[in-house]
Amino acid sequence: MSSLGTLGNTTLLLALAFSLWGLIGGAVGAIRRDRRLITSARMAASATFLAMTATVAVMEIALLTDDFSVSYVAETSRTTSPIWVKIVTLWAALEGSLLLWGWLLSGYWAVLSWVAPNTPLKPWALTVMAGVQTFFVGVPAIAARPFNSVFPVPLEGPGPNPLLQNHWMMAVHPFLMYLGFVGLTVPFAYAIAALITNRPGTEWMLNTRRWTLIGWGFLTAAIITGGWWSYEVLGWGGYWAWDPVENVSFLPWLTATAFIHSIQVQERRRMLKAWNLLLIILTFTLTLLGTFLTRSGVVSSVHSFGDGPVGPIFLGFFIVAFGLSMGLLAWRWDHVRDRSDLDHPVSREGSFLAGNVLFLAMTFAVLLGTIFPLFVEAATGDKVTVGAPFFDQATLPLWMGILFLMGIGPLLPWRRAPDQTLRGNLLWMALGAVVFGVASFAFGMRAIYPLITMTLVGWNLASLVLLVTGVVVPRLKIGQRGVAQVLRQYAFENKRRFGSMVVHFGVLVMAVGIMGSSAYRVDEQIRIDIGSSAPFQGYILHARDKFMEQTPGRISAGAVVDLERDGQIVTTLRPRTNVFAGQEMTVPTPSVMYRPNYDIYLNVASTVGPEQDFVVLRAVMSPLITWIWIGGIIAALGTAYALVPGVQGARATRDLKRGLEASQT
Amino acid sequence: MKRWVYALLGVAVLGVAGVLIQRALGEALVYFILPSEYAADPATYEDRRIRLGGIVSPGTVQYDDQKLVLAFDVTDSLQTFPVEHIGTPPELFKENTGVVVEGSFEDGTFKSDNLLVKHTEVYEAPKDGEPIDVEALKESLE
Repeated sequence: MSSLGTLGNTTLLLALAFSLWGLIGGAVGAIRRDRRLITSARMAASATFLAMTATVAVMEIALLTDDFSVSYVAETSRTTSPIWVKIVTLWAALEGSLLLWGWLLSGYWAVLSWVAPNTPLKPWALTVMAGVQTFFVGVPAIAARPFNSVFPVPLEGPGPNPLLQNHWMMAVHPFLMYLGFVGLTVPFAYAIAALITNRPGTEWMLNTRRWTLIGWGFLTAAIITGGWWSYEVLGWGGYWAWDPVENVSFLPWLTATAFIHSIQVQERRRMLKAWNLLLIILTFTLTLLGTFLTRSGVVSSVHSFGDGPVGPIFLGFFIVAFGLSMGLLAWRWDHVRDRSDLDHPVSREGSFLAGNVLFLAMTFAVLLGTIFPLFVEAATGDKVTVGAPFFDQATLPLWMGILFLMGIGPLLPWRRAPDQTLRGNLLWMALGAVVFGVASFAFGMRAIYPLITMTLVGWNLASLVLLVTGVVVPRLKIGQRGVAQVLRQYAFENKRRFGSMVVHFGVLVMAVGIMGSSAYRVDEQIRIDIGSSAPFQGYILHARDKFMEQTPGRISAGAVVDLERDGQIVTTLRPRTNVFAGQEMTVPTPSVMYRPNYDIYLNVASTVGPEQDFVVLRAVMSPLITWIWIGGIIAALGTAYALVPGVQGARATRDLKRGLEASQT
Repeated sequence: MKRWVYALLGVAVLGVAGVLIQRALGEALVYFILPSEYAADPATYEDRRIRLGGIVSPGTVQYDDQKLVLAFDVTDSLQTFPVEHIGTPPELFKENTGVVVEGSFEDGTFKSDNLLVKHTEVYEAPKDGEPIDVEALKESLE
């Protein structure tokens, strides 16, 4: 019997007991308004966090000491892996990633239990967190157990999935993804608390504003790093394939993005109460549905971990969570439906609402495309897949609409119909659009979507300039200060607004990158004899040599390729294939020349054998693709800036206090 | 009054989205079939992108490493069709193994641009002369 296994099982069961107490004690305490019970349930959050931390620590020790008597270690780890691979093996397979999910969730829950303001919502919000926590501890504690003991103890394991140990990004991407999913659990918990306590005003969203933004920011970063991981590892030179696993991470992002916009309408105009509750319920439940779809094997995917009992369990939890949330919403319907109307469609709230419709339409289209094969097979027995063209055709027009609204929305005033300044603004934006559109056409672009994208980029850039001048110019007139100083002060005083401008700018940069790399990508297979050369897109590729490297954990074989342009060697790329010890699958490992205007991406398309005197390369040129990652970083920085505490935070607290006073009188 | 306008607008947007989605779905569905299913109804799969599954017929594999064309016959033992794959043979590609190729039929030849080798764990290749379990084959390739 393994001692680490026993210890891990014990701490996991402790965590389950604590979270159950948080759920039951919290619910009873909140119903009876029993202070002592509520406090005790609140303490359960920290206790669960400690127990989960211990559990994760035990698993890490087991991984690092190669304790193969623990089933998860035996199934996924290997003695020869480097230390960083052993550490991230915690989330290389299902049981371990559930531990990570549960641990991060308990961290959020514990922090929330300490820092959340003492409002009537808090006890119920913590209780909902406890309920979700119970599920995420219960699954690894009961159904997908990582600490089973293995006997006889094997001497060696297979190591983690080679696709995962092939790139350091794997240490980052899943972590960010779970931080995002878990972060968005907090506003969900508060939304449910608002329904239970019948306080569907703005209180719950003001309480969770920063949590929402944190969760959204992590989810955004996770999706972009996931795309970069695909680009660096999967070997086809792309970053997004509309694979089910990608789609199901995208779905909650879409609803969360709609949510962070529409809550502003409720904050300002007291409208869209039910809509906001619905959006956050959808966001949370879509993460569960997505986990079910990809973990159960009902939709085939390159990343699926295979069949297991966990899929149906997630489906069950999805049905329960969705059903209960919708039931609550129906129960409180009289209190959450809006009594006021939109004053004018051409207003800030009108544009936010239209954007919401587009985001929701996209959610529906992507969800439909992802699960449509299930319907077809159930109805006709045919086995089908939905190709990427569907997703492109369905989402591109919606994206164009969103980009259009992203330009106009922030310039429109709340509630009022358009006035004189709006007409002037529209003129400038139309000018920006035309200039960019014509310039792109003159540059040689002819395809329709790239042209529309560039036109809308011009439209949006003009809008951003107008937004900035709109706040800077009046302040310049009244004071003696310079432009930089005024701008700095504005950015300091309006962190949320300025942060959102930065995020929108990042989105534009990404749009340009996506447009260039998808519409103007060149993809060729090239055979080169070793010592010889071949042309590719203005470069000459010299296959100088081939090589073979061996470390204890892996064998690499590849080619040394010099890239020559205008008689000069620009760079040397070493695409290769890796074979990891314990695995039979070879992993392509492309080599990329990153440039601002385009990337040259080389991948060996067939194994380079010792007796083979040629190499077959997949060569991909992707214009502007680097700007996707740069745009992502800009968006992340903008989100982080909006989160910096400052005047905004103080104002939020004041709003909250005022709201509380109003509700008490 | 206003509510009606918004409701109508909403319905119109949904309608347009529905039409777009339906058209796009119809074109983008990629059927997964076996050679005998194609032979039974070739008209349905004319000019369409499909995924064709089957076993690599022994003795038919030809690889031109100059032009990078891999030619072989794919069979489910009821029907056999020639496949021309543009590209290199994947690592685990060999005779008698399960494969799925993606592309379309042109004049009786399947032109493929994507070739996946499937480890058919459930499925056991029948000995010579034994009938083949087509359902099991399809299940194991999916």
